[in-house]
Amino acid sequence: MPRLSDTMEQGTLVKWHVKEGQQVESGQVLADIETDKATMEMPTYDAGKVARIVCETGSNVAVGETVMILAEEGESIEEAIKSVGAEASEGESGAGAEHAAESKSKAPAAAKPAQAAGSAAAAAAAPSPGAGTSNGAGSASGASGANGAAGRMLVSPLARRIAEENGLDLKSIKGSGPQGRIIKRDVLAALGQSDETGESETAAAPAAPGAAAAPVSMPAAPLGGKVALSNMRQTIARRLVESKNTIPHYQVSVSVNADPLLDLRGTLNEQLKSQNVKLSVNDFLVRACALAIHQHPHFNAAWKGDSLQIGERINIGVAVALPEERGGGLVVATLRDADRKGLRQISAETRALADKARGKGLSLEEMSDSTFTISNLGMYEVDFFTAIINPPNAAILAVGAAMKKPVVRNDELAVGHEMSCTLSCDHRIIDGASGARFLQTLKQLLENPATLLV
Amino acid sequence: MGAAVATRQIQFREAIREAMSEEMRRDKRVFLMGEEVAQYQGAYKVSQGMLDEFGEKRVIDVPISENGFAGLGVGAAMMGLRPIIEFMSWSFSLVAADQILNNAPKMLYMSGGQFGCPVVFRGNDGAGGQLGSTHSWAVEGLFANVPGLRIVIPSTPYDAKGLLKTAIRCDDPVFFLESERMLGNKGPVPEEEYLIPFGKADIKRAGGDCTLVSFGRPVHFCLEAAEKLAEEGIECEVIDGRTIRPLDMDTIIESIRKTNYCVVVDQSWPFGSVASEVATQIYERAMDHLDNRVYRVCSDDVPAPYSKNLEQAMLPNPGKIIKAVRQAMYLE
Repeated sequence: MPRLSDTMEQGTLVKWHVKEGQQVESGQVLADIETDKATMEMPTYDAGKVARIVCETGSNVAVGETVMILAEEGESIEEAIKSVGAEASEGESGAGAEHAAESKSKAPAAAKPAQAAGSAAAAAAAPSPGAGTSNGAGSASGASGANGAAGRMLVSPLARRIAEENGLDLKSIKGSGPQGRIIKRDVLAALGQSDETGESETAAAPAAPGAAAAPVSMPAAPLGGKVALSNMRQTIARRLVESKNTIPHYQVSVSVNADPLLDLRGTLNEQLKSQNVKLSVNDFLVRACALAIHQHPHFNAAWKGDSLQIGERINIGVAVALPEERGGGLVVATLRDADRKGLRQISAETRALADKARGKGLSLEEMSDSTFTISNLGMYEVDFFTAIINPPNAAILAVGAAMKKPVVRNDELAVGHEMSCTLSCDHRIIDGASGARFLQTLKQLLENPATLLV
Repeated sequence: MGAAVATRQIQFREAIREAMSEEMRRDKRVFLMGEEVAQYQGAYKVSQGMLDEFGEKRVIDVPISENGFAGLGVGAAMMGLRPIIEFMSWSFSLVAADQILNNAPKMLYMSGGQFGCPVVFRGNDGAGGQLGSTHSWAVEGLFANVPGLRIVIPSTPYDAKGLLKTAIRCDDPVFFLESERMLGNKGPVPEEEYLIPFGKADIKRAGGDCTLVSFGRPVHFCLEAAEKLAEEGIECEVIDGRTIRPLDMDTIIESIRKTNYCVVVDQSWPFGSVASEVATQIYERAMDHLDNRVYRVCSDDVPAPYSKNLEQAMLPNPGKIIKAVRQAMYLE
């Protein structure tokens, strides 16, 4: 099982795309693997013939375990299986690593003896499956865990002891010491304890599924009973608890007159119909938020303990709920440089990302580096809700539906569309008045939507 | 600091004098011998007035002949006396290396227990200030390597007096390392008699963030560094080892269990230094309590320069200690 994300410890084999006996080419997708982040494709780095599929669909396998055996050119299936078995027993005697790397047959995961399962040392010493392809992202040992020095995890003795005492897996921790050494404060941070030296950044994965309070969609099941947690559900749980526990949230709301926006959108979509462009309300929101951040740079900040890091680029995260048939959950797709893109480009990119998220899943890159997040439940006719901040963002915007309501326009009662925008802010970074001013800017932009076109 | 809070402030040199005088009054076997200790009242006025009180049979001037009078001290101790042999500087003790390293510490062993060697060698150790490399020895790293002897290195008048009295009563040879730069330092010393046992470190400053271990004069540099770091909220625990042999590792380990970080400050040269030994014993006993390696601040690995600025740059100082603490705590 290759390490497909930097925090991945195990993966679920969602689907095999190949069969035993099938010839495969280098780069061909062998299987879909669900990690703690997303469902990802597992490619092969070597051409050959599928000798044996070891790991059944639906099984949950630790990183480093053998999932299949690949026979090289000129190698028979029997030989390949036999040689992997031989490596495994050599590995047990502690001398297997190099032999395995030299061996002709390639298992797309380290040929790690099953008996030694759970031994971190064995996993670390396991040879790269792509044999020789040193830094393949899909290789089991090519990814050196969360630690800096390739293949070797640097941990201070104290950090190691605290982790052991608390049953914490060091592989899940990012070290802040020299060369990425894991030190006391990293372990304490991972355990959620405060450390008086207090400088460490949270060991946050770059793009764990975020925060928006989209509906929790569990797989449809009869009432009662126990549902096993998917990797993604566990990650969502961990990250949101961390967010709510460490970030002092508060909310500010504003009601936006959505009539001009809906009118403009209708006009534009009518005109762009022939070009197959259909702008959503959310596309306008993404652009409006990006422009508003220009006037309120603290909304692009990340809390660093003793300082604020103001992001140079404005990357808007858009929360995407995943279909229930794929296990549900949600991810935050990142629209990079949203302030420098027009509505049409924002629309196309958002649609592509959302489709990919709901399909085969987003890459880490596509979920990384957001600086501000939008969660929109308008399509569910929600009129008002609050969202949980997606760390390390400073704020998140929760957007309801543009509802038809009795409204006062020009001192007269009329029927119009109102849309609620509720901002959750990190009070360490943004005070209430600042939050209100941001919403004021946003409201002006949305109520005068022509400004979003230029 | 002992049970009673002392109000009397005396100089380091007076504390040493009081220890010697009190022990000479108490025990007629004790005598003082060295260059200029009698007629001149001591090259650094440590023995001022002692010739008058004890007479020339017990306060004895000797010519410049370290190997001779150190050997005389060893012989006197073997025959039942309790000599205090003063080296004007420990740099000059090297002339007497065979007596002090090869004879005194091994006498009990070599004689099959027939002869002990209860002698105290004492004098100035460490850089005195522009004395040049041959006169600026810090001998603790060198001599601590020798089994059979005790090495005492006090940092305050109080510790100096209590430890010197223990040294004079000790049945083993004791090397007592003073500092020319500290002889004028004043500190509280009670009137009443007290002794300080060997092998008991003293926590000169309590703190929970980083352990500083030192001996002799550099203890003051540590305290200075600790005060500066405290302004930033970093609380160092400053442990004064007081004796190098025996070494009170228990106190050091207990502190590291609390702080997880340690800097050892030692005026000997880094290679095979006292600091190296302390660090090694920390690794042997407290590895799982360390969040970083032990940092050492020693004299630079060069002969002591004569130039004032270079000499200061070569010795341990508060700036170097502050930097080491920051590195040890991953603050830089």
